[in-house]
Amino acid sequence: MRRYFFEVLAVALIGGSLFFFKETLDYLARRDYVAALLVMVIGVAVISVGKEMARLALVQRD
Amino acid sequence: MPVSEPTTERRWRTFADVVAFALGTNVWISIVILPAIYVGGLHGMRILSSMLPFAVLMLGLARRSEGILLGLFPAAVLLPVSLQPQLASQHVYGEVRFGLVAAGVIAYLFGVSFFTTFHEPPAPRSVRQLSSAQQGTASRWQRRERVYWGLTALSIIFPAALIAWVDYDGAIADFLGKMYPGRVALMTTALTAGAIGLWLGVFHYAFLGVLRPHRTGDRDLVSALTKARAEAKSGKPRARFYAAVATALAAMAALVLMRHLS
Repeated sequence: MRRYFFEVLAVALIGGSLFFFKETLDYLARRDYVAALLVMVIGVAVISVGKEMARLALVQRD
Repeated sequence: MPVSEPTTERRWRTFADVVAFALGTNVWISIVILPAIYVGGLHGMRILSSMLPFAVLMLGLARRSEGILLGLFPAAVLLPVSLQPQLASQHVYGEVRFGLVAAGVIAYLFGVSFFTTFHEPPAPRSVRQLSSAQQGTASRWQRRERVYWGLTALSIIFPAALIAWVDYDGAIADFLGKMYPGRVALMTTALTAGAIGLWLGVFHYAFLGVLRPHRTGDRDLVSALTKARAEAKSGKPRARFYAAVATALAAMAALVLMRHLS
């Protein structure tokens, strides 16, 4: 059960990080470079958390 | 059978030479000679530059050198084109003719690379079945063969698509006509050379770069996976998990603060 929980969480976080990268592009198009940088950092951080969740799911599978 | 080995070897060599000569001559005639006749550029010193690729082909055949046949000869074919850029202009190459020439070049490259390295193995003195031979090809090598076929397909599609795009896209031709009036053929040839260079770079770094570690059994990847699995056995997220959460929260706070201040 925990394995599926971690897997769903990992997919949601990694997929959700795409939203932040899309926002980054929107900010860049509006020439708001500082905001774009901050949102990109958020996206990278979210994808890192998703990666950790995927590792935990891998342990549960073993 | 010690007498039959050199005979078989000679027969293969002769066959490889004939294939390389026929396909190489086809490439030389279709890329250099016919366009030169078409644009009236086969006179004076230009005849010498037009004959150079053929001389290089003969040298490659005489020395049976893969380096000359697969590297120097294609480069020599481009020399007359660089001296007379109109040889590669749109007016010389219609779309059908471009397809035929591309097929000829592909046939030459594949024919030479295959037949010059193919050798008939000598007859074995004795035959013994190995147990591993009955298990069939390992899945790893089947994967690798699929990658080879994928690379072969990409080696045909990528450069042909790039060159066709550069040479036959109306928007590019219009842009070059506007930016470089009177020098469209020269600029198109330069762009075509750039497309070939781009493809060679991508192939060398992106495609062959992936195959090299695979050749050594993915040693780096396997050790990295083993290490990751051992670390994950603890069942707790690593320190970088907490660092990532803290970074995301800090960046969000900075964004909110920035919006609030502005």
